[in-house]
Amino acid sequence: MRDEGLSSADEPFTNLLTQGMVLKDGAKMSKAKGNTVDPQELIDTYGADTVRLFMMFAAPPEQALEWSDEGVAGSFRFLKRFWGAVMDHIAAGDTPELDPAALDEGQKALRRKTHQTIAKISDDIGRRQSFNTAVAAVMELLNAITRFEDASPRGRAVVREALEAAILMLSPMAPHICHGLWEAIGHQTALVDESWPEVDETALEIDTIEIVVQVNGKLRGRICIAADADRDAVGAAALEDPNVQRFVAGKEVRKTIVVPGRLVNIVV
Amino acid sequence: MSTAYKPADVERAAQEHWAETRCFEVQEREDKEKFYCLTMFPYPSGKLHMGHVRVFTISDVIARYQRMQGRHVLQPMGWDAFGMPAENAAIKQGVPPAAWTYENIDYMRGQLKRLGYAYDWTREVTTCRPEYYRWEQWLFTKLFEKGLVYRKNSIVNWDPVDQTVLANEQVIDGRGWRSDALVERREIPQWFMKITAYADELLEDLDDLPGWPESVKTMQRNWIGRSEGVELSFEVAGEDEPLVVYTTRPDTLYGVTYMAVAAEHPLATRAAGDNAELAAFIEECRKTDAAEATLETMEKKGMPLGISATHPLTGEDVPLWVANFVLMGYGTGAVMAVPGHDARDWEFAKKHGLPIRQVIAPADGSEIDIDEAVYTDKGVLVNSGEYDGLDSEAAFNAIADHFEASGRGRRTINYRLRDWGVSRQRYWGTPIPIIYCDDCDAVPVPEDQLPVVLPEDVEFTGVGSPLKNMPEFVETSCPRCGKPARRETDTFDTFVESSWYFARYACPDNDQAMLDQRAEYWLPVDQ
Repeated sequence: MRDEGLSSADEPFTNLLTQGMVLKDGAKMSKAKGNTVDPQELIDTYGADTVRLFMMFAAPPEQALEWSDEGVAGSFRFLKRFWGAVMDHIAAGDTPELDPAALDEGQKALRRKTHQTIAKISDDIGRRQSFNTAVAAVMELLNAITRFEDASPRGRAVVREALEAAILMLSPMAPHICHGLWEAIGHQTALVDESWPEVDETALEIDTIEIVVQVNGKLRGRICIAADADRDAVGAAALEDPNVQRFVAGKEVRKTIVVPGRLVNIVV
Repeated sequence: MSTAYKPADVERAAQEHWAETRCFEVQEREDKEKFYCLTMFPYPSGKLHMGHVRVFTISDVIARYQRMQGRHVLQPMGWDAFGMPAENAAIKQGVPPAAWTYENIDYMRGQLKRLGYAYDWTREVTTCRPEYYRWEQWLFTKLFEKGLVYRKNSIVNWDPVDQTVLANEQVIDGRGWRSDALVERREIPQWFMKITAYADELLEDLDDLPGWPESVKTMQRNWIGRSEGVELSFEVAGEDEPLVVYTTRPDTLYGVTYMAVAAEHPLATRAAGDNAELAAFIEECRKTDAAEATLETMEKKGMPLGISATHPLTGEDVPLWVANFVLMGYGTGAVMAVPGHDARDWEFAKKHGLPIRQVIAPADGSEIDIDEAVYTDKGVLVNSGEYDGLDSEAAFNAIADHFEASGRGRRTINYRLRDWGVSRQRYWGTPIPIIYCDDCDAVPVPEDQLPVVLPEDVEFTGVGSPLKNMPEFVETSCPRCGKPARRETDTFDTFVESSWYFARYACPDNDQAMLDQRAEYWLPVDQ
């Protein structure tokens, strides 16, 4: 075609992504083997988004994908949970504008998680074409959102930012549910016309870190503290945590073990 | 908005929005960076399978991500609609291949829409439509004018009961899949595209594709299979023409102890004239499946022709054999055999008690026993007259020089890549736009008479092509001299359709040209 003057491209394909087969019980899915699963039945049962999400989550594109009924059900449960999280947030009423400068440590931590996730998924999809890890990162972000119990207006503003980022980033894999959620959360512009979320570098700065507090080796709380705090300050902050207080009140603290950056174990 | 997650409602609403706003339909625009996201178009087999869903979802994720990055994304979809399954369904269910195909396309298009892929459906191409294949026919006539297509005899699997040509996958254990008759190798004239004219360019351009997996590029290089070697002439007693062979190892020339030719080679045919046993063996070879994969694994059989060639350096007699692993269509249809240093030749020599001679020794001076095991590495020449002591590389050049100086040989580059045989003796495909005239031979159909439309309303029985029994299709007049002439009834290999659809997506509505400026905008494919 080039030599006929129809096209000037020497090589018409710049990039090539080869993908693996779909396996069931370790064998290639094929009519001859009778081990096929009909995608139409799954779409009818769970919807297109679940099928799409499972496909992208179950394996990296170049590797074989092992079929799993449980995996499909798991993808559906995740989407249901995601839907519920956004609906709960909407039901709780109006959310003020986010003011990044006015956040407490816990709010900053969730915001950091949001922007770390944006950075990771941008790299996973844009550079590595590693879609399964991208889906996993959205799932982790949703876990962090559901663990976050701060219902204050500022807390809710941080949650909203996190949910919106999750909707945008999940939309290539599960475009329908994300379209619906984007509208529900109050946007006038359709999701399909939105841009990919951007990383706010200032949100990534780790000025505080989360440390796990144990009492007698059992998890009793989490504290946020300045990343450069010394051992004594970390130990003191751990003792002040209200939940930790319940377990040490009236007892003699025999020993406080501080593992910098990770945990504090209080022995009573 | 309901607070419970109801996928069917959510998905319908989203798809309605995309359809109403036509947001995935794209026109060329210079103010945005384009991104052409292509996925392999499916064969309309009936319904989507999981493999489709996986591939199309991966592509859709990339397309949607690139759109969110601000790129102007084209993601098209179409149908690789010609092919044998439609013929098989027609035989089984008694529906014309066309009707079966269009019904499947309608169903599968619905499935793709239900999956929410971001396709520009206005660019849908369907390869069995004349709007598409007319340009393929047109390109073929252009290639004909350029001398890039030619006709030559080539071997096919012939089913003597169904009187039809079978594809390799329709031959099961050497028998026709429907008739159960023993399949024969038969030579019929077929059209070829001269892709070997592009072998070097194809090979070199692989170096300019950093976005391709190395494993795929290696496969492509092996497929092209460039090798540097020498063509050598061996005189044959009683023959005017010398026997020409190609070898990549002229350094082993002193180790030649026999030669082998293909069953269809003129020397074999002549020798069989007064030798019934040989004639029977040649007939058996002709009936064998000629696929390359089979050639490598099948039992190597042969028979002596009773004539000899003369070794060009030693003057010794070298017996000629006919062998089932030498093919007339590959190279010159003859090979020189060096059993000491070639695994296949060694196996054959052992089986038939032919001499094995060592002419290469390991460079490190270690001892080998050529009777126990073949030695295929390069090394230092021994038992090779004046070339003794040279290493393989130096000997390659010295021997090549010697033959070039005497005019009995020349250096040449060979490719494993073969010209592409595009003729298929099938009905459900693009008609090859050629008219046969008794006076003018094969004449390409002129542009103003294209497309040659494939009749779709046919009764398909599976015995031969229905086109052959349709005088309204076959009978025509010669575009050159006007006398009565016949149309070609063979169709193109369906890979001809799937080798250019990616470009046609840029301008599927152009009824004046195969491609236009819009293809310049969208190509190359980005992912």
